[in-house]
Amino acid sequence: MSAQSGVQILKGAHVMDPGQGIDRVVDVTIADGKIQAIGASPAVGEMIDFSGCYLSPGWIDIHVHVYGTLGFADPDSIGVYQGVTTYVDAGGAGIDTIDEFAAMMDGRTLTRLYLGAYMRPMGLISLNFIEGDTRTLTSIPIAKWLDYMKQDRDRIRYLKVAALTGYGHGPMKMFKGLAETLRLPLYAHVGEFQLQPGADVAYEIYGVVDAGDIITHLYHGNECGLLDKDGKIMPVIKDAARRGVLFDVGFGGYNFSWSVAEKAVAQDFLPDLISSDLQQFNVVGPAYSLANVMTVCMRLGMSVRDVIERVTVNAARALSLADRGGSLRPGMPADITVFRIEDGDFALSDTQSAIRRTDRRITPLVTFKDGRRIECDVMRCQDERNWLLQIAEDKPPDAVERFSPQQRRFLAALAQELSQVQWDDASVEHLDLDKAIELHLAFRRVRAAVGIPLKPALTAVFDSFLNHPFTMQVGLFLLRRPRDFALARLKEAAERQLQLT
Amino acid sequence: MDDSDWEALDGIDPKNTQFPARAKLADEGIVIFRTERGFFGTQRSCPHQQASLMQAILQANGTMIRCSRHNFTFRTADGRPVNCPGFRLRVYAVKEEDGRLLARRSPVL
Repeated sequence: MSAQSGVQILKGAHVMDPGQGIDRVVDVTIADGKIQAIGASPAVGEMIDFSGCYLSPGWIDIHVHVYGTLGFADPDSIGVYQGVTTYVDAGGAGIDTIDEFAAMMDGRTLTRLYLGAYMRPMGLISLNFIEGDTRTLTSIPIAKWLDYMKQDRDRIRYLKVAALTGYGHGPMKMFKGLAETLRLPLYAHVGEFQLQPGADVAYEIYGVVDAGDIITHLYHGNECGLLDKDGKIMPVIKDAARRGVLFDVGFGGYNFSWSVAEKAVAQDFLPDLISSDLQQFNVVGPAYSLANVMTVCMRLGMSVRDVIERVTVNAARALSLADRGGSLRPGMPADITVFRIEDGDFALSDTQSAIRRTDRRITPLVTFKDGRRIECDVMRCQDERNWLLQIAEDKPPDAVERFSPQQRRFLAALAQELSQVQWDDASVEHLDLDKAIELHLAFRRVRAAVGIPLKPALTAVFDSFLNHPFTMQVGLFLLRRPRDFALARLKEAAERQLQLT
Repeated sequence: MDDSDWEALDGIDPKNTQFPARAKLADEGIVIFRTERGFFGTQRSCPHQQASLMQAILQANGTMIRCSRHNFTFRTADGRPVNCPGFRLRVYAVKEEDGRLLARRSPVL
């Protein structure tokens, strides 16, 4: 991979840019990281032959998890290495943790990363049995939100929420109210939370969402789905679609059922958007990649053009990114995906392990990100070090040797502060969110007292425990460690270094 | 732990049975796995969403077991979670004795 500022002429590919109605073999010229021309190519430039391939605007995955308890050590492995030039982390951070998200993720990926901020101030916590708990979702610091949006609105592309209540329409109206206040689309998860005991109310959301809001996990096979008992699309969902609400695949690890999808498609209920919901818990199957989810959609009867439309122009519009993505218009960033339709015999699993076979699949070959060429490697994400968050239990990771004196002082002070906080296995088993917030606040107090910037403070904590660079909300991260072990390790990381100086 | 806590696993032949194998232990369905270091048992389904652990994958030299449905991974020594805090797998000690397998009725703590 190399940065490219010269002129490159991508020749011979079948260009598919549904936003511009382009669907033919034509040259694409890029220069200085931007699309220069389609068709009329200059005489001078590096020629790259992509005959036999398709070429589209860089794919946009509107729903992934690269940060937080579901995230990856190598976030680009599900981005540019899989043909995805832009993605949105769906809920990894909320208003109280966006600064941690920014500190750890900015500059870390070649793939352009945005955030779909979560309704809960802590962000996603990722334990099924509490995730949709309305009481943890309706603590809404509106002033803090407004202040944040004034300074960094570009980062945030939607407001994510679990569309689950148990309290009627009220909570849904609060979610929608905040989204309206912030002028963001609401991105509503309907899916496995509906497996929770007593959680038999997911339909309220359809009465609240408007044009431009997005429902994800369209074809989930859990309770409160798309279909009524006779297999027909629920009227409330048809009404929402008529109003302009967008429907997203959000394949996930729980939330795609062949049976539901096939029945819906037979009634012409197709997705407006295709996203993967890639995370630690589905990347080695059944989701694998956005390309795999696109292949799944082709197996449902959609054409190549149909699926490309949904990961380019449709995604860019839904995220208000049409000024910078989803199109090969001259002047746009040179975000491009070169791919092939492979023939063969492929098995496609849904999230309940039902299999459909198909004879063609989409395989990304080359990604251009702002003109920089990256060879795709769709298997890179499968590396266990990328998705299995393991604690270095026996000894501190080597990274502790490189801590600065300030980081050591910080860790020593943090160990001291946390020795005043009690938590145990039960705190994790029942996900004591209040305790996670207490740890989060303790971290912040110490950081302020030591006067250390956020990124080296967070890095010092993560690197004291992890061999691979996973990231998450620090309060949750600490809560998940056994207390005695956490305190001992923080002290060890701090003191060993102090002896070395 | 007294001997009465161990129960012979009927129908399992350590030499000829293909592992993982289903077994019954005190009326609970369990799954028996074989690693290079011996045998162990687990509850039959993942504590997360009850996917069968007959399709589970052993990794890290058999020190971890991963449910194939959602990658929830547990330590085989004690069933503690590796990547899924809040979930715990019941793991049973299994030993080979006189050409048969015995499992301990109480799960490893």
